[in-house]
Amino acid sequence: MSADVDLHVRIGALELPTPIMPASGCFGPELGALVDLDRLGALVTKTIFFEPRAGNPAHRLGETAAGMLNSVGIPSIGVERFLVETLPRFTRWSPPTIVSIGGLSVEEYWRLAERLADVPEIDALELNISCPNLEAGGHEIGADPRAVEAVVSGVRRRTSLPIIVKLTPNVTSIVETARAAEGAGADALSAVNALLGMSADARRGIAPLGTVTGGLTGPAIKPVAQRAVLQVVREVSIPVIGVGGIASIGDLVEYLLIGATAVQVGSATFTHPDTMLRLTDELAAWMRERGHASLDEIRSTLDTGGVRHELASGVSRTAG
Amino acid sequence: MSLRLEPLSSPADRADPALELATVVRNDEIAPGVWRLTLEAPVIARVARPGQFAMLTVARRGESVPVLPRPMALYAWDERQGTVDIVYRVVGDGTRVLTTWRPAETMTTVGPLGRPFRLEPETRSILLLGRGIGICSLTGLATEARSTGVAVDAVVSAREREALIGSDDFVRLEVASLTEVTDADGTSAVDRLGDRLATLASEAARWQQVFVCGSERLMRLATEVARASQASVQVSIEARMACGLGFCHGCATGMVGASEESPLVCVDGPVFACRWDA
Repeated sequence: MSADVDLHVRIGALELPTPIMPASGCFGPELGALVDLDRLGALVTKTIFFEPRAGNPAHRLGETAAGMLNSVGIPSIGVERFLVETLPRFTRWSPPTIVSIGGLSVEEYWRLAERLADVPEIDALELNISCPNLEAGGHEIGADPRAVEAVVSGVRRRTSLPIIVKLTPNVTSIVETARAAEGAGADALSAVNALLGMSADARRGIAPLGTVTGGLTGPAIKPVAQRAVLQVVREVSIPVIGVGGIASIGDLVEYLLIGATAVQVGSATFTHPDTMLRLTDELAAWMRERGHASLDEIRSTLDTGGVRHELASGVSRTAG
Repeated sequence: MSLRLEPLSSPADRADPALELATVVRNDEIAPGVWRLTLEAPVIARVARPGQFAMLTVARRGESVPVLPRPMALYAWDERQGTVDIVYRVVGDGTRVLTTWRPAETMTTVGPLGRPFRLEPETRSILLLGRGIGICSLTGLATEARSTGVAVDAVVSAREREALIGSDDFVRLEVASLTEVTDADGTSAVDRLGDRLATLASEAARWQQVFVCGSERLMRLATEVARASQASVQVSIEARMACGLGFCHGCATGMVGASEESPLVCVDGPVFACRWDA
């Protein structure tokens, strides 16, 4: 990357050297054996819970025409072991560390935020609100704007760390949950988490995933995620991190044009573990070729004035 | 009664995995539906151990589907040539795409991964039991055993004769015996194979270790044979994986039901110590 191109972005109080970071669950410090993690915009942990969790039964993975399904179920070693065993493996790298937290009740998010508030190695929290709320019939917390408001405002009261709220696409109106999160004090939003899906095996007559349903990610979800990002950036004034199906420089730039401040790369890291570094190089080259000095010159510049029919409008109907 | 699998300890000198952009040297069909892929992957070839695997990205560089890379046993590797051989059966969309790879193409490859088989220093004689494509994780072990003078009895099992894998390589390694069994002629039935192994055990030197891959019935038979010879058993198991490195948690074995997560095939395995608990 050359000095003429500035890739840095701000997410609230958080300064990132580049807009490219991993999506939670699709990244671990183990990747450091393969690629240089110091070149990433931030490091994002797998979602942690307050108490240990076993996760879902096998099988946890499936593949679809242009994506993948997972029903991993967020196994967790619990916050105390996380702080001792996992966090130091992130903070030995230079990018900011964003810790993803989850809860099976509104209070579990609050307890985690309180426990992590004074840990100096943590640079921001991302709230994974796509968890089932066991106190409200198991529906996703993130599908209920009132629950989102309660989670985020409670976390806000307990920490001064930047708060990113990761929105679920499994809702009727993502704008409502986005507004609820912003109103409750979120510094940024990430959109979107996995789409709820399933697979069935016609030959064997079974549902292969251990929990039948799972989260769909990868190229298949990009159009849905981009639509969600567009709707959200039009409604909120806080930064939005685009997530869903980013594998190429084209995918990444599309999100920036739509209005994303930064992006997260998920499934594509499984496909090619060096994807995020390749995208970093390609983004710098892309900006240089077009004479852009900073990302501000690109963001939200997508021309949505409607589809033009230049060719069609130039054709006159002749009487035949 | 149940099979109990327990992680082996990881060797202290096990090398970190590497990301290699491996050049395809050859990719040929060696039997109906079975292909042998040779990759130029010098780092993996230098540090690989028997029983380890590599993640092969079926999507070409710059392409994003199929999304998931395929975990593949290292069938053979040659440190001098810097090459790694993978033998695979075409079973689905991913392996079908894999057959379209041509020499000189560059494949995203990560390896070597997982905990290797452990051949104990005092072991003089081993039994290998492999079924179908599962044989591919045992060939490297046979090579290492023969290079240190350990006697190998090998059993290869498959649905039919054409599907037997590895026989030529076992013969070339001068194994003490090679037993080929198939469903087609009924010889792979567990009771018949058990009788043959009992005969073999009475003629051969007693096995100190038994290694098995590719079938749960063979795993159970391995534990019975091992009990008679007071041998220990190691098994290599398969799972779908996304990362191969341990962070995605997609390949949990699901064998231990508890508040803690069960072992991961990729980093706690794929080789496990195996016991049949009555």
